[in-house]
Amino acid sequence: MHNLYQVKHELWLDILFASFTIENSVIKDRLYDFSMIAFRHLKWIGGDILESGDDYNYDRSKMLLRRQSNFEILNYLLEEIKAAQAAYTPSTLTERIITDEAYLVQYITALLENSNNDAEVTAFDMHRTLPNKTLDVVQTDSLTIFLFEESYKEYELILVYAYMQARTDNLLHFNVFQDLIDESHFHLKSFGNMMAQMGILALPRELHELTYKITDIEKFIISGIKEEENAKEQCKALSDAVNDTELSQFFDFINYQENYHIALMEKLLPKK
Amino acid sequence: MEEMDLPEGMNPEVIKHIMYPQNYGKLEHPDGTGVAMDEKTNEFVIFTVKLAKDGIEDINYATNGCQDTVVIGSMFTEMVKGESVEYAKGAIAKIEAKLGLLSPQQKICADMVFNAFVASLINVANLAQGETEEMHVIKSEESCVIPEGKTNA
Repeated sequence: MHNLYQVKHELWLDILFASFTIENSVIKDRLYDFSMIAFRHLKWIGGDILESGDDYNYDRSKMLLRRQSNFEILNYLLEEIKAAQAAYTPSTLTERIITDEAYLVQYITALLENSNNDAEVTAFDMHRTLPNKTLDVVQTDSLTIFLFEESYKEYELILVYAYMQARTDNLLHFNVFQDLIDESHFHLKSFGNMMAQMGILALPRELHELTYKITDIEKFIISGIKEEENAKEQCKALSDAVNDTELSQFFDFINYQENYHIALMEKLLPKK
Repeated sequence: MEEMDLPEGMNPEVIKHIMYPQNYGKLEHPDGTGVAMDEKTNEFVIFTVKLAKDGIEDINYATNGCQDTVVIGSMFTEMVKGESVEYAKGAIAKIEAKLGLLSPQQKICADMVFNAFVASLINVANLAQGETEEMHVIKSEESCVIPEGKTNA
């Protein structure tokens, strides 16, 4: 079961990062939707594993390989879906997963039949500019580091909250974790697409179990609130630093969202 | 690592280590496991090492820390893999020579990396003496806190 969880975890990331990498907004959005379906598969597989008395972890073995074209990415996805299906054993859940993936395969196959869907990939070439934006070196460096830090952090939060959500019987906690997971998905999507636009798309680092096996939830939440406050400061600093109204508005928007994350996280603290 | 053309600004080598950290993860069946832990922030660096007669056969690290920690861990493991333990003990100074003078913040990150490595060697020694510790932990005295408005690296 461990292997199935890891395979599905990696497939979720494959689809998600394919969505970030491809510039065509129609294909990008469609792949993103499929990645969110794959994430739900992952959640359900994890639930089944726990119900059976087994456990899973967040180990990964694959790197994000740099691809030169949309078609290279799409062909890679087809191979990875096929490889993942070899790990499935018959169940109601895997039947559902297989039919979802069959539809994704049909979609990708249709894309590959039209050469207009192919294009050069610039998500990994490190050009570090944004379309129609003029940032100086200091602003570009600040934005670069911010995106690396925060994309990792959002990926970490998605997985840590999902890990805790899968193990709680407390309905309030379950719902708060779901809200926080949904919010982090949106942030990861925003940052991932911006990283691809700048040519610095990179897979977030693998999580070590010290990160997600939480023994003291109160300490974890208090530390998490401090991190949110730090992220708010980073957003504000970037918003002030970038000489661009659109970017400033975006970082202010993210900053204000962090306020409510803190309020949500406080709901997880024991009442005193 | 593969050479690429990069714009001015951040050290190109630093960007490459962030995008593709080297020796990242954990080794299966290591000879030693060491952790540097900051209990105030819950940040950690963990090393797994395999030693051979003449030095470090294999080495991996992982962290939930900042990008400076990622970069220094990646550079450190790249430098010491296949080298003697004595060489590894001087590797942080070599990184400093390579990157330029480290900021106080980066020094804290470098200490976390080095302490986790030292902890893994202590774990090897403790296990050799028959102890059963799963990993050796060194608690950090100072925290890596990025000042407002500043980005590291």
